[in-house]
Amino acid sequence: MPEGLVTVATVVPPQPKRASVPLLVRLGGAWLLAMLAVALLADVIAPYGYTALDLRNRLSPPVTLGGSWLHPLGTDELGRDVLARLIYSIRTSLLIAFGATIIGAVVGTTLGFLAAHFRGLVEQAVLALVDFSASLPFLILALAVLAFFGNSLVLLVCLLGLHAWERYARIARGLALAAGAQGYAAAVRGLGATPWRIYGRHVLPNIASTLIVSMTLAFPEVILLESGLSFLGLGVQPPETSLGSMVGYGREYLTRAPWILLAPAVTIVLTTLSVSLIGDWLRDRLDPTLR
Amino acid sequence: MLRFATARLARAGLTIAMVVTFAFVVLRLSGDPAQIIMGADAPPEAIDAFRTAWGLDEPVWVQYLSYFSAILQGDLGRSMRDGRDAIVLVTERIPATLALTLPALLIKIGLGIPAGIFAALHRNSLADRIVMVVAVAGFTVPSFVLGLLLVLVFAVQLGWLPSGGQESWRHAILPVITLGLGGAAVLARFTRSAMLEVLGQPYIRTASAKGVPWRSVVTGHALPNAAIPTVTIIGFMVGSLIAGAVVVESVFSWPGVGRLLVVAVSNRDLAVVQCILLLVAVTMVCANLIVDLLYGLLDPRLRSGTRKAG
Repeated sequence: MPEGLVTVATVVPPQPKRASVPLLVRLGGAWLLAMLAVALLADVIAPYGYTALDLRNRLSPPVTLGGSWLHPLGTDELGRDVLARLIYSIRTSLLIAFGATIIGAVVGTTLGFLAAHFRGLVEQAVLALVDFSASLPFLILALAVLAFFGNSLVLLVCLLGLHAWERYARIARGLALAAGAQGYAAAVRGLGATPWRIYGRHVLPNIASTLIVSMTLAFPEVILLESGLSFLGLGVQPPETSLGSMVGYGREYLTRAPWILLAPAVTIVLTTLSVSLIGDWLRDRLDPTLR
Repeated sequence: MLRFATARLARAGLTIAMVVTFAFVVLRLSGDPAQIIMGADAPPEAIDAFRTAWGLDEPVWVQYLSYFSAILQGDLGRSMRDGRDAIVLVTERIPATLALTLPALLIKIGLGIPAGIFAALHRNSLADRIVMVVAVAGFTVPSFVLGLLLVLVFAVQLGWLPSGGQESWRHAILPVITLGLGGAAVLARFTRSAMLEVLGQPYIRTASAKGVPWRSVVTGHALPNAAIPTVTIIGFMVGSLIAGAVVVESVFSWPGVGRLLVVAVSNRDLAVVQCILLLVAVTMVCANLIVDLLYGLLDPRLRSGTRKAG
């Protein structure tokens, strides 16, 4: 099989030179890598613990506004270092966003495959669920679930994981049906492969690029949802801190100490912007049909 | 057309029934409401009395049926906190929310669609780039950040407008702008890509080739076809008129449905949450239904169901 591919590739006339990666996408990638590094190394690089108080330097401004290098981004009402809190918030927010995006992709893809495999009643049930999720704005649904179940970090990740599941389900179902019609799935089935093997080893790799693009597009939405919920005080609960809850807390000091709020707000915007730029670029690159 | 409409109506009914069931299931899964409301150390007699009063001592399926029939009769329960009818609590907040979301919808449509069309018609021009940058920013800047930045500039620094509350029409300006700008950006981006897709179709080339003036090609062929996907997203925006301002209302302390929802969630006032959930679902489903019927009018192919995939 690989030999066949190689011969075909040599016959095809040389591809036009690939356009280089746009500057904005590179910047976005660099920012995202920096955020990942911050998240991974949070314990090492944070100058203080995120709950450590410095009562003598409360509401101290950042260095750019005449503060001291002791607290480069200033401190809040309790004298907690904004930089340290920002670093830990980045870790929490990214952890939640990654966890939730992966859960959504796995749940959605599995349901999509189930619908495509069993057809009939299972498919109708999955499609009805898809209709149901499309009928409610996700924020409202999330708020309702939080009201009913109370809050915990695990619940929050699982809940946000349900965001966009229906998109993956739709894509996976459609593509799996198409794959079934394409023969290679039928061929391995004819060879006696189990459904696990057919979908896991053959269909999934073939549709992975579309799914990855959807994940990149859903990721910033999850960050925005988490920060929105945390901003409302209904997401990440103190003493844990996330970018959204930092903004929500800083709002109380909007007039006296806007830096508490601005640092996490800028981080949210730059991060979602970076992922969106990368996602749009990947989509144009890998999957022009997805819009 | 009639069959098409009936089928869509049946699906809408099914979706609402699913939302009702969802609310019921989640409510029951979440634990014993009597314990939650009365507190863990409430005397057993009080809890029993509460259970009897709310029908919690019946078998689950009886509860489900009575729950369903009560909702069909418009009885959505009473607020477990202040004892008033949940539906009354919610409906009296609706005008305040609409006072924000309706003008915001006008901004979204009035700004977003023309910007999207203009950008598509002048693809890769400076104007197109600007529209796209603003549109991406509109998506990536969360509404609470935009709202707070507006407060910081126009209320705190310049002192032109109030930062929150609902005393006069001037209080509505910042929240309406916050809501409108974000939505306009989304709509502009969507309209642009819908237009670009249509402009690439063979029938546009045919029309231009046979000498139809470009202006008539755009108004006669491109716009009506690009309207179809755009109507979907506007339908979604109409559907979220009731509860599309949860975050913005909280930023500006605006006493609308969204604010009520946030307060009800933090108090775990389940009847109110559930009432808002159903109200939103019904609005959304109705908006989707209208969109689907509009589709049938806009696109005759959909009526008979012969539309080709893609």
